Amino acid sequence: MAQEPYVEEYVIQAGDFSAIGEASTKFKSTLKMLGIPSDLVRRSSVIAYEAEMNALIHGGGGLLRMTVYDDRLEIVASDTGPGIPDVALAMQEGYSTATDEIRELGFGAGMGLPNIDRNADSLEIDTEVGRGTTLRATVLFPSP
Amino acid sequence: MSGGIKIRESRCRGCANCIKSCPTEALRVIDGLVRVLPDLCIDCGECIRSCRDKAITVNDDEWDLIKTREGLILMADPTFYVQVGAYSRPRLMKEALEHHGFSDLSEWAALAFDLAAFASARLIREGGENLPYISTYCPAVIRLIQINYPELIGRILPVESPLETAVSIWKAETGSDESVTLVSPCPAKATLVRNPVGREQSSLEYVVSVRKVIRDLLACNAKVTGAKTKAISRRWLLWSITGGESRHIASFFDKGFTSISVSGLRNTQELLNELELGRLSGVDFIECRACDLGCIGGTGTYESRFLSQLRLDNIEAEWMPSGEEMEQIRSWFDKGIWRLASPVTAKERLPLSKDIKEAMAKLHEMDAIYADLPHIDCGACGRPSCRALAEDIVRGQGEVTDCIFKLRERITQLSGEIRSLSSKLPHTIHPERKRRPLS
Repeated sequence: MAQEPYVEEYVIQAGDFSAIGEASTKFKSTLKMLGIPSDLVRRSSVIAYEAEMNALIHGGGGLLRMTVYDDRLEIVASDTGPGIPDVALAMQEGYSTATDEIRELGFGAGMGLPNIDRNADSLEIDTEVGRGTTLRATVLFPSP
Repeated sequence: MSGGIKIRESRCRGCANCIKSCPTEALRVIDGLVRVLPDLCIDCGECIRSCRDKAITVNDDEWDLIKTREGLILMADPTFYVQVGAYSRPRLMKEALEHHGFSDLSEWAALAFDLAAFASARLIREGGENLPYISTYCPAVIRLIQINYPELIGRILPVESPLETAVSIWKAETGSDESVTLVSPCPAKATLVRNPVGREQSSLEYVVSVRKVIRDLLACNAKVTGAKTKAISRRWLLWSITGGESRHIASFFDKGFTSISVSGLRNTQELLNELELGRLSGVDFIECRACDLGCIGGTGTYESRFLSQLRLDNIEAEWMPSGEEMEQIRSWFDKGIWRLASPVTAKERLPLSKDIKEAMAKLHEMDAIYADLPHIDCGACGRPSCRALAEDIVRGQGEVTDCIFKLRERITQLSGEIRSLSSKLPHTIHPERKRRPLS
């Protein structure tokens, strides 16, 4: 029997740095109730957190959605921001287009996307300059 | 719960004030009495603070019985030595205790705290990938990590509580097997005796709260001069205030040492969240204390934490151990007595089901139940929040009508049904014509 996936959504408000990490904390508690192994919970929290940060810093807010299937979970972050002109460049560690103001807050070190890539089993980035970015990261569960 | 909290049922009114104070939502009110969910309780003592009826206390032993023992030996927490202005040096306190026929192990404690700081400095220097390490000193923080931050378990410094090590050293040096009573400032440290983490059994036998011992000392008002006792170092007393442990560790570092020290559970949780998300690179050591201002804010203390802080601020600690002290520290370091016997393990709460499909179905069910609740988290159902009630229901530990709003809805619905039933007439009666009078 295929179980209906479990979906949790979180709206990321532009510029709301005080709520940082809220989405990943909520996702974490959901995954614990589902009995997902703790290293996968940690990896998923890091993905959610970095994706949330990206949408906040670059995308002008957006939507973060976690969908849990019985064999994997997907985290999709979508924004209607400026888009990424060169994805390969953005994936490089240390590359960042964050403003000085954001760097002063301690963010924008250019580790976000590489960090997501490291923690996800697969990562797709769908982006168009001027239209926005949708990021889809998948974490696979070990087969029972 | 590892046994740090005690509920005095005769005092509990089931008022549900405490359940919202619990940072891990471990309290429920069932049948008019507060209950602790042992899987979630971290023994932090927030419920003790919030109870107006003093129905929740540190789970300590009967002081009135213990104090009658001849030659009672106390292992007192550093906070103990800053509770009373007149006895605010270990040597003065020792003298005051002697008036009662008690003795303390403060000279061994001074060595054990030096040793713990020295060993921590060593481990941190060799930490590499494991950095930042997390302090093992506050048992409530350790328990919080075991339950909520299993991924951080490997960062806990494998250093035994110096309160425990002090007794081990004392036993090893003197060959004594007398029982020792811990004087604890909080419920969390009571668990060192009741349910130790990282070792099979505690070397301590009983536990009493700082408050009870201090009260007795004050009642007797012993005059002390310090003439009879020799001076004991005071740097270890600073472990009872936020940052004191880090300061002590730093004193054994010749180069840069970066640490973050926080107190209070909100700060602790937020710092651990940041650590879990990998935001604290470049930090060597994290010192978290569950209580505001550190152990002096514990719920088993006597003195105001602000006055204790004032006394601690006035201590001019000699951070450099003497040659003789250093020799002892090195020798006990080599013996490894400071090391946790076994690694700390995670104690995660059970998921909704072991089978992920079933757990997902239950989570859907839980959301549906929650959506229908009033979302005002009133606590009248005995749970800290509507979400907690929904979770209890899917775990089979409650029902929807535990919610007074849902109960009221149900009564309204039922009374509507009763009314409509009562307006039904038997077939022998015509609905419009009145019953003909009997002729």
